[in-house]
Amino acid sequence: MKTFDLKIVWTMLGYLLKAAVLMIFIFPFLWMISTSLQTFRETMTFPPTWIPASPQWGNFAEAMQAGPFLTYFRNSVVVTGSIIVLQFLIMIPAAYAFAKYKFPGKTLLFGMILLAFMIPGQVTFIPVYLMMADWGLVKTLLPQIIPFISNAFGIFLLRQYFMQIPEEIIEAARLDNASEFKIIRKIMIPMSKPALATIALFSFVSHWNDYFWPLVMTDSAAVRPLTLGIAMLRETEGISNWHIIMAGNVILVVPILLVYVFCSKHIVKAFVYSGIK
Amino acid sequence: MKSKWYTLLSVIMLFSLLAACGGGGTSSDPGEAPGSGGTEAPSGDKGKTTVQFWHSLGGKNGEYMDALIQRFNASHEDIEVIGTFQGSYDETVTKLQQAIASDTGPDVSMLERAYVQMFADSEVLEDLTPYLEGSGISVDDFTPGLMGHSTFNDQLVSLPLNRSTPILHVNKTLLDEQGLQIPTTWEELKEVANALVVKEGSEYKRYGVTMPYDTWYPIAMISQAGGTFFNDDNTSIGFGDNGAGAKMFTYLKDLQSTGALYYPPAQDSGNIVNSMFVEGKVGMMYQSTGSIGGLSSAVDFDYVTAFLPKDEVYANPTGGANVTMLSSSKNKEAAWEFIRWMEMEEEGGLEFILQSGYLPFTKKMVESEKIQELWAKEPNRKVAYDQLEFATDTNKDVAWPEIMHEFFSAMEAIMYDSKDIPATLDTFKKETERILAQ
Repeated sequence: MKTFDLKIVWTMLGYLLKAAVLMIFIFPFLWMISTSLQTFRETMTFPPTWIPASPQWGNFAEAMQAGPFLTYFRNSVVVTGSIIVLQFLIMIPAAYAFAKYKFPGKTLLFGMILLAFMIPGQVTFIPVYLMMADWGLVKTLLPQIIPFISNAFGIFLLRQYFMQIPEEIIEAARLDNASEFKIIRKIMIPMSKPALATIALFSFVSHWNDYFWPLVMTDSAAVRPLTLGIAMLRETEGISNWHIIMAGNVILVVPILLVYVFCSKHIVKAFVYSGIK
Repeated sequence: MKSKWYTLLSVIMLFSLLAACGGGGTSSDPGEAPGSGGTEAPSGDKGKTTVQFWHSLGGKNGEYMDALIQRFNASHEDIEVIGTFQGSYDETVTKLQQAIASDTGPDVSMLERAYVQMFADSEVLEDLTPYLEGSGISVDDFTPGLMGHSTFNDQLVSLPLNRSTPILHVNKTLLDEQGLQIPTTWEELKEVANALVVKEGSEYKRYGVTMPYDTWYPIAMISQAGGTFFNDDNTSIGFGDNGAGAKMFTYLKDLQSTGALYYPPAQDSGNIVNSMFVEGKVGMMYQSTGSIGGLSSAVDFDYVTAFLPKDEVYANPTGGANVTMLSSSKNKEAAWEFIRWMEMEEEGGLEFILQSGYLPFTKKMVESEKIQELWAKEPNRKVAYDQLEFATDTNKDVAWPEIMHEFFSAMEAIMYDSKDIPATLDTFKKETERILAQ
């Protein structure tokens, strides 16, 4: 009887803990959404209100009108989309080679890739900028794309995944005269969908949200992404209109949530599979 | 399966195509280096000189700046100014350093006043003196209190633009309830602030005065107590040995101990003190003039501004940014025309000042009917201008940005951790001397 009670206590504690952790993660989101629907006067109240007295949907329109938001949005989509597509083009063959081929210098090359993903962008931005300026690219979207088409973390993760795919399947395909290209297409990609979805999501979130890199690489509104457009809503001095800024942030975050909903099934799978093996 | 693969390929090509034309298609500058534009501009605008202008204004002020640029372009057929927001003041500085090094800098840039010396010292700013003379403008045409960061090595390297200053914001309703007068000295401030404190149990329900976590306010108080931030020959601090620094911090700690001063946490301190002031949780606030517009529309009490209280003298630093021309600019005549128009013409800077609430920076502006009307309607704004008579900027040195971080550490040690004041200031002094000697 006593052990039974203890079990319930533990389960309850577990739920409480989960609820607490959930609150920590969800709290800023709720606050953001709440603020995005308040009036200026209401954002200044202390302690802050949770439910806006009368939801101000106009805040979103006002945020959108503050700049060329369609251009920002298009730039964000193009940059993030191009990065992900190009990353996959490079990452999949690279990971395949590292996982299934034997060639001289393999360990050294792989080590260099691992090193690449340990260097923060802030260290390399000046040389990269100078290079891009030399090539005359600073007025285009390319400086936001080119440096990221090789995804070291992705190559690493995908290689681990590819290594788990049995050699026999590949051998069998080779016996059937399948080209390496076909093996990648018909075997490796379909069997590693969860890993690909995970990498795509991580890559999407980090580049969609990137502020620093686009700021230093671009000089005009025409090539800037949404993050910079939203940063521009903030006053340099004086009192910021938090309700407008938060409306902008909601607009920024919605695509991430959509992509997450779209990818989440595969991501959960990725972790379940790697757990079994 | 096959069709899927082709879809993927076409998506890739589409993205690459978009990426490639995204920049060139929409940007009106065909050349890779800004400033080289205009040589062969595409479609229509024949022979227009393009002037790149970088600024740090977001939000409403950013919109006012965009409107200013549009007014300029509409009134100038042969020049097109392209204004670009480059992040905060600090981020703009980082961008400028990187752009100047790679020769992709703008023609004209906004520069936070405390950074002017750093760039002037690197000799990348154009001396504006001949341009002023050519346009028949004298340095005396500008508001004297705002020229403290403009001249270096006898060169006029920047002109005031969006300038602010700290002032005292007062909840007059609260003061009136208790029959208190707006304080004009440190002594009066102490009395009034203490009288405003409401304490229930061990919890403060209301404080007397507050200020954001910033070096600006301690620097103001150092000058008020008869000190300077750097000494005359910039080898050390000018508030150590004469006791001004110790006096100022002792005064603040004394206020803090009775709840007369609420010193906010470092993170987001400006927003915290603003909302406390609006909510009547604090009676008075040291804060930038830049907040007047926002506060006026947010408060529901009698809100007035006043000079920062004096100790030995009235004194206040200035803030905000100047405008400067880069010596690497290839369109200096056009760049100067933009600066001249912005500084001197009525539809240029004056309109921007009226909208934004920054300080009028020329004497002509101050005398203009529009400013006089505004001041008659909003006396709070006039106070800030009047206080400029006592403006003094004593934190001028190339090493200021570096020393600023050390000063923040000293402020934190004293205001948050109640460390010994003389010992902390001594450490700060030594550190400053070390940095200045480099």
